[in-house]
Amino acid sequence: MAATSAGRVLTLCRQFQNACRISTTLSAQQSTVTLTKGRSYPHRLPSTLLSSSWSCNLDLAVQCRPLHTTISRRGLEEFFDIPENWGEATVKSGAPWTAKQLRTKSNEDLHKLWYVLLKEKNMLLTIEQESKRQGQQMPSPERLKKIDRSIRRLDTVVKERENALRLLQTGQERARPGDWRKDVFGRIYWYRFREHALPWYMNRRYKRKRFYTPAFVAPHLRLRLEKYLRAKTRKQKKESENQAVLKEKFPQMQAKSQ
Amino acid sequence: MAVTIIYSTSQKYPLYQMGNPQLRIFRPPFFLTLVRPGKEQPPDVVQFRIPMVMTKFDVRNYVEKIYNVPVGAVRTRIQYGTNKKRNHLNQKVKRPDYKVAYVQLAQQQTFEFPDIFPKKDVKSAEGSVEEMQEKFMEDEEQRQKPDPRRGGVTEWFGL
Repeated sequence: MAATSAGRVLTLCRQFQNACRISTTLSAQQSTVTLTKGRSYPHRLPSTLLSSSWSCNLDLAVQCRPLHTTISRRGLEEFFDIPENWGEATVKSGAPWTAKQLRTKSNEDLHKLWYVLLKEKNMLLTIEQESKRQGQQMPSPERLKKIDRSIRRLDTVVKERENALRLLQTGQERARPGDWRKDVFGRIYWYRFREHALPWYMNRRYKRKRFYTPAFVAPHLRLRLEKYLRAKTRKQKKESENQAVLKEKFPQMQAKSQ
Repeated sequence: MAVTIIYSTSQKYPLYQMGNPQLRIFRPPFFLTLVRPGKEQPPDVVQFRIPMVMTKFDVRNYVEKIYNVPVGAVRTRIQYGTNKKRNHLNQKVKRPDYKVAYVQLAQQQTFEFPDIFPKKDVKSAEGSVEEMQEKFMEDEEQRQKPDPRRGGVTEWFGL
């Protein structure tokens, strides 16, 4: 029913196109919503993974704004699979997005794809929980892994782009500022800054943290250093003894250059 | 920083002080699970399992903007997962806590949780192994049935 009403509206739009052009700049979210509303059921599955039919649908949506008089109930139906797949043992799904494929997409496309993957994951989580509740097997649980991988790769690609932009514009290597600091045990580590509402000298909890090594820790440091040196010499000695034994067995062998 | 980059639910949000611009999250890393209510709920209430870091306002914006569903009211609670059960090593195993959101739809809409696992009559393909197995099982059942001419009387008695 939703498909036919949308179809009628779109044909009406096409007829009225020449008479009155309603060209609107749709926001990213609205366009995904109209895409999912306008698309009929059989085309749903291939569109979520590895689809290239967005752009042609988007052109249609840009040229004529669909008018809906009834509230689209497809909102909450998107938490479930299409009714043809209810009760099936397996549901066919494509391969996950690879980072290489995602790098070819524009930022807008990636932004829209994020929401598509988000909705798909919500749907799969709903099905999983319901299957646990009913004591049934979830159809094709590998879809969850595929979606997870796609989302992670999308994140990686977006992070890469943001890193590159930041390096070019400001020269900063990290997004979150930090510093090399010494902890109470004398170890030097990368401390990542946090946002505070007060300056550090008024922050009591921060002052208790101690980014220096007290004097009484010196003996422990010395013992730790001795342990480390002992382990290192032991390893080197073992290695040289091993080499000597091998040299005796195989005289033509070339000694490993370290 | 104009753009807020929240990659995961474990990341801290930037500090808010009066006069700061509205926090916006692009590419939200939050996933909602629609669940069948355990207790009877009014017809316009939809029950979700949401990540712990989400608030009522977050849920409202999420559902309205991403799913285009008009939301009237949102109520949340945190469900404690038991730490009582023990595994085969007698160690306590914690079931994770989760947050539940009860979303009341606006504009007098109703929602009923559908039956996603209806019974379907599965007909196996011709000449396949499953078809032969099914046929064999049917024949076995037919063989095990008592003689219909005896009119329901057991075969325990002779003759």
